[in-house]
Amino acid sequence: MDTTTAVPGIETIDSPSRRTLPYHLMKHPGDDLVDRFLEAFGRVLEFTDYKPLLDSYRRSNTKCNRCAVACPVLQASGDPKDIPCYRTNLLLGIYERYFTLDGWLKSRFSNAFELTEEIIFEMGDIFYRCTACRRCTRVCPLGFDHGLITRLGRYVLSLVDIVPKALQVSVQEQLEGETHNTSKVPRAGLLDVLEFLAEEMEEMLGVELEFPTDREDRDYVFFCAVSDYLMEPDTLMGNAAVLYASGDWDRWTIGLCNYDGINYGLFYSDWHLENIIKQLVSEVDRLRGRNILIGECGHASRAAHDFIPTFMGSKAPPVLNFMEYTLDCLRKGKITLDPDVITERVTYHDPCNIARSGWIVEQPREILRSFVPDFVEMTPRGSDNLCCGGGGGLVSVDEIHEFRMDIAGRMKAEQLRQTGAEIVVAPCANCKKQLKELVEYYDIPCRVAGLHDLILQSIVIPGGISPMERKERADLFTI
Amino acid sequence: MEAWLDFAKGPLFAFTFGIMIAGLFRLVFLQVYHLLVKKGRRLKDVPWMAMVRESLSWVIPVRHIEPGTKIFSIASFLMHIGVIVVPLFLLDHVVRWERFLGLDLPAVSKGTADILTLLTIACSLLLLAYRTFRARHRTVSGPVDYILLVLVLLPFVSGYLAMHPALNPLPWDVMMLTHILSAEVLFLMIPATKLAHVVLFFFDRISAVHWQLRPGAGDRVAEALYGEEVRI
Ligand code: SF4
Ligand code: SF4
Repeated sequence: MDTTTAVPGIETIDSPSRRTLPYHLMKHPGDDLVDRFLEAFGRVLEFTDYKPLLDSYRRSNTKCNRCAVACPVLQASGDPKDIPCYRTNLLLGIYERYFTLDGWLKSRFSNAFELTEEIIFEMGDIFYRCTACRRCTRVCPLGFDHGLITRLGRYVLSLVDIVPKALQVSVQEQLEGETHNTSKVPRAGLLDVLEFLAEEMEEMLGVELEFPTDREDRDYVFFCAVSDYLMEPDTLMGNAAVLYASGDWDRWTIGLCNYDGINYGLFYSDWHLENIIKQLVSEVDRLRGRNILIGECGHASRAAHDFIPTFMGSKAPPVLNFMEYTLDCLRKGKITLDPDVITERVTYHDPCNIARSGWIVEQPREILRSFVPDFVEMTPRGSDNLCCGGGGGLVSVDEIHEFRMDIAGRMKAEQLRQTGAEIVVAPCANCKKQLKELVEYYDIPCRVAGLHDLILQSIVIPGGISPMERKERADLFTI
Repeated sequence: MEAWLDFAKGPLFAFTFGIMIAGLFRLVFLQVYHLLVKKGRRLKDVPWMAMVRESLSWVIPVRHIEPGTKIFSIASFLMHIGVIVVPLFLLDHVVRWERFLGLDLPAVSKGTADILTLLTIACSLLLLAYRTFRARHRTVSGPVDYILLVLVLLPFVSGYLAMHPALNPLPWDVMMLTHILSAEVLFLMIPATKLAHVVLFFFDRISAVHWQLRPGAGDRVAEALYGEEVRI
């Protein structure tokens, strides 16, 4: 793959060593790269709390190499540079050499290690080969969190302008742009989409409804990955159908100033993470909403769920993933799902961001088992799942499509094929995109869907058309 | 020779042991200090129970034997048992601990200690072989990683030989001196090298704490680097 192809208006890296990165950058990182990297690293250490962790890691890494067997990237690539511990040690090595006394002393007695531009470029490459899925953490006897280190490495790199353009452009629009979202969906565009969805639902379900926008004092303010408005209408209609059928239609709203749950800061920058969180919370405050309801998106859910309390403290509104909400409705008997509609074999892909910590593992399964007769599991599953191969923001970086298919997603594709499933449920905008590309690339006869896509087909709508009738109509339509 | 042995058993032992304790205490103190001072109230949002449960599951790590690491993991686990049990609970050591620290530890039988010692030696050799012959292990290994394994082996081998005169090629006191001195070198190495994981293990495992980022830190970093003109 020629990674140096120039795209008009975009500079690719061309260092003296002629090393190139497999993705495009916003800016040329400049000449004094090593100095700036060290300065940035120093500032990060000064103002954040990573130091004790780095200290503990650098002193105790036993290098047992167990983590190697857990990493799907390494398993597929076989490249020693993908060993989690190798990558982590790069950053720890720089930390030790330049920011600790014993590292400095050591460097006085030997000339073993000096940071070079070459090493920074190597980091720019391998820190974006790790999907930050944190699977390796679960097999490391010491619990080393390589996802956290990858993220820290990317943070420092981003401070010296090494960051994939795809991520940068998105967050820039989200924080500074007119639309305040990553896909540049303007307010009028959103309203159009919502109107379209309402019409579709009317036709499909036989009920008249209008999406509640900018309503104040509601229980739930809804955020999804904004790309869902463009690419996943079925998921959104499934969400809406649950809210409608459960009788909670008057309890939720979509804010019109900010409607994007995506937070790429989770993948590469503390600064972005925090500011995007603040932007989201301020929208909830503006609407005086009581809870944040996040649609099907793994990283949006984790960003909000884990980091709103971190950054907002006691003022933090509670965060709910939509699957938790749906399960609650199901358990309380507020919604009914027809078990005769989905006849295909279905499997479930755990998005790393919600499953690794054990937060959302059983909830979607409980929902699925209640209405999907032929549900099969992948192995490994749950907290031990394999990443789709597009985690950590990689899925947005088109330049590394080949890497995502051939290496990062290879084990996932194999795992998927082995289930023999006709539908794979992946409740995450990123996973969906990556899996769709994977099934196409590997020619797997399997359809990728959101959990609520299937719910949309099976949910019983009071006063509306029955699920079976809808199915018959749809079949007619496809013939 | 007698005098050397006495010196090694007495003042040198006290000195190296003291250094080890002080070194480890320093590491723990720095970690706890940083956590309390820097994380402060954010510590309460950490999923402590899940973390403790996960850590405890590693005490007897049967469910962590992953395909692909089976032999390595079992060897490593057995080695750790030996490394913990023999120095603490071998009868001759128990007597020393009693005299030196006034500790009253239970003792394991000589037979058990012998088996554990041999197991530890065998397992360490296996780990050494992994590190030497597997490219993947070599990639992440530096000289220290090999040296430390040999260093851990030394007191076990010399101790075993000293206790089994029939196998011992050297005079008893020479072997004993080797045993004691190598253990003392190890004492010094523990806080200074990766062997510090004996205490840092607990602090490595708490990455959930470190995901509790400091509010406002990102802004401060950006301001320090770019001044007023904040860049996105
Ligand atoms: S499993 Fe943990 S201790 Fe072992 S090499 Fe990997 S990071 Fe290091
Ligand atoms: S976080 Fe995932 S991709 Fe990264 S090293 Fe660990 S297992 Fe591999």
